[in-house]
This record gives sequence, structure tokens and C-alpha cells, in this order.
Amino acid sequence: MTDFSFDRRAFVDGITTIFPLAIPGVPFGLVLGLIITTNDIDPWAGWSSSWLILAGASQLAALNLIADGASAAVIIVSVLLINSRHIMYSAALRPKFVGMPAKFRYLAPYFLIDQCFAVADTAPELEGSSLRYRMWHFLGSGAFLWTMWVISVAIGILVGDVVREEWSLSFAVPLLFTGLLALSVKNRPGLVAAIVAGSVAVVGRDLPQGSGLLLGIVLGVAAAGIAEGRLEKASAP
Amino acid sequence: MTLWLTLIACGIVTYATRASFIALGDRMPLPPPVERALRYVAPAAFAAIAVPLVLGGDGFAEFSADIPRLVAASVAAAVIVKWKNMPLSLGLGMVALWLLHWAGL
Repeated sequence: MTDFSFDRRAFVDGITTIFPLAIPGVPFGLVLGLIITTNDIDPWAGWSSSWLILAGASQLAALNLIADGASAAVIIVSVLLINSRHIMYSAALRPKFVGMPAKFRYLAPYFLIDQCFAVADTAPELEGSSLRYRMWHFLGSGAFLWTMWVISVAIGILVGDVVREEWSLSFAVPLLFTGLLALSVKNRPGLVAAIVAGSVAVVGRDLPQGSGLLLGIVLGVAAAGIAEGRLEKASAP
Repeated sequence: MTLWLTLIACGIVTYATRASFIALGDRMPLPPPVERALRYVAPAAFAAIAVPLVLGGDGFAEFSADIPRLVAASVAAAVIVKWKNMPLSLGLGMVALWLLHWAGL
């Protein structure tokens, strides 16, 4: 029976690693709070979207649709489409979580925000580490991101217009993902994945509710898989 | 009430997307070529998210207006490639954006 008791060092390492990735979410959360108040959405319900859904882009879409008086079905399907990329995250992380307690495998997905995926997938300290370390590392990063997110949305609701448009702070999110992209491209198949996925996402940007995004990821992953096979064959003696 | 139920349903579908494979554990293994390809989810996903965001607005149609954003994103990427330092990448990326805006671009 493997020991899965609390690992303080892993938990703190998870927080330390996610910290810079969590910062760009703050202005985004503030803006989300502002959207809730300016559209007269019940503040408790609007704020609760941050811990019920815990995914910024889909919350933004849901709140805008609520403000427009869209039907529940339209809102739910939109959120599902925007968040469908998480299926790919879940599939990619699955092998890393095999052997962890079932309780954890049901709790962990709740925290599977883009940044948590990036950390769980690429953080160098996780290479060759124990299951126990990886589990508490993930929970540390997830708990920290969760806390930052629910607090930023709350401040956005309570304080309102604190983010000045001219500071362009909203651009911190594109910069964050650009940085994560640069971190995650480690070899030629990775580069193929990025080029294919990025191009498809741009061409398919007008497809309904971010389905161009999912299509881009799926095609990018498939292209990388094929490229990897070809490269291996080419390098074989 | 409808609002709450809608948000709860949104939370459930989001959790379902995230739990899908992780909760499955080692039941139903995928074919090895698929498992191998899945190691490239990160570069694919982050490119699919970042590229349209950086191009912003109407994308190619507004290409010239996006120069500060393209430069800022290039700075952020270069810092990562050179130093693998995320706070520095975000910081210098934002500074580049502000400088170009201040210069009137």
C-alpha cells in the first residue's frame, strides 16, 4: 500500500510553480466581476460561477449569454463546447494519475484549469517523482489557483472598475499562453502540433463557441503523432 | 432559480470534460499510437489558444494594428526559450506592449 499522506513540500512546490501562471488570471477575474455587476446578474450566482465552473473563458461566455437572456440549453451547450478542450487535457494526464487513490482521481479533475494542466504536464520537478509527490503537487497548484480565482472575481464584483483599459492588462492572458506554448514545444513533433493547431484555430475561429479550438487541438495532436512516427522511421538504421 | 440550475449544470458538464479520462484510470487503455500522440496535447492546446488571442480583433484583417501585440508575444516567447522564466516572460512582454503603445504604434 503506497503512502499518500500529506506531503507539505510537494504542496508548496505546486503553489510556487503555479504562482506566476496564476497572476494573469487576476485582471481577467476582475473584469469578470465587473461584467456580473454591469449586467445586473445576481452577484451571488455570478460569483458562484467561479467555483462551480472554474474556467474563465466559458464563464465569460455564460455570463454574456445570461445577460443576453439566452436559454439554459444554449448556455450549457456553449460552456460544454468551450470546455471540450479539457477532454484532451484529461486524456493527456491520465497515464500520470494511474495508481493514485480513486478519491484523488475524482477530485483532481475539478481543478484541471489550463494552468494546472500546464504544470502537471511540464513542470520539471515532476520528472521521475513519486506518485505521492505528484498528487500533492497537483493539489497545491489547484488549490492556489482556485483561491486566486474566486477572490479576483469577488473583488471585481465588490470594487468594480479597477482595471484600466489603457494598461492592456487583459493582454497578460495571451502572453501567458504564448509563454506556455514556448515552454511546451520541446521537439519537432511538438512544433508540428503547435503549427497545425494554431493555424486551424485561426482559420476556424468563427466556428460556433470555440469548436475551432477543439478541432485545432485534435488535428495538431494527430499531426504530431504522425510526424513522430515518420521521424522515428527516418532515424532508424 | 433557473440561473442557479443553469450554472450548476454548466459546472457539471465542465467537470465531466475534465474527469472523462482521469477518472477512468487504467480501465480501457487507448491504443499505444494514440497514447504517444497525446503527449503533444500541451503544444497543440496552447497554440490553439494563444495564436487567435495574440492576433486579436479580426485577426488578419487588422494585422497592422496588431504589431504591438505580435512584438509583445514574440518577446514573451523569446524569454521562455532563452531563460525558461515565466514571470520575466510576462513582465517583459507587458513592458514591450506598453512601450510600443506609448510610442504610438
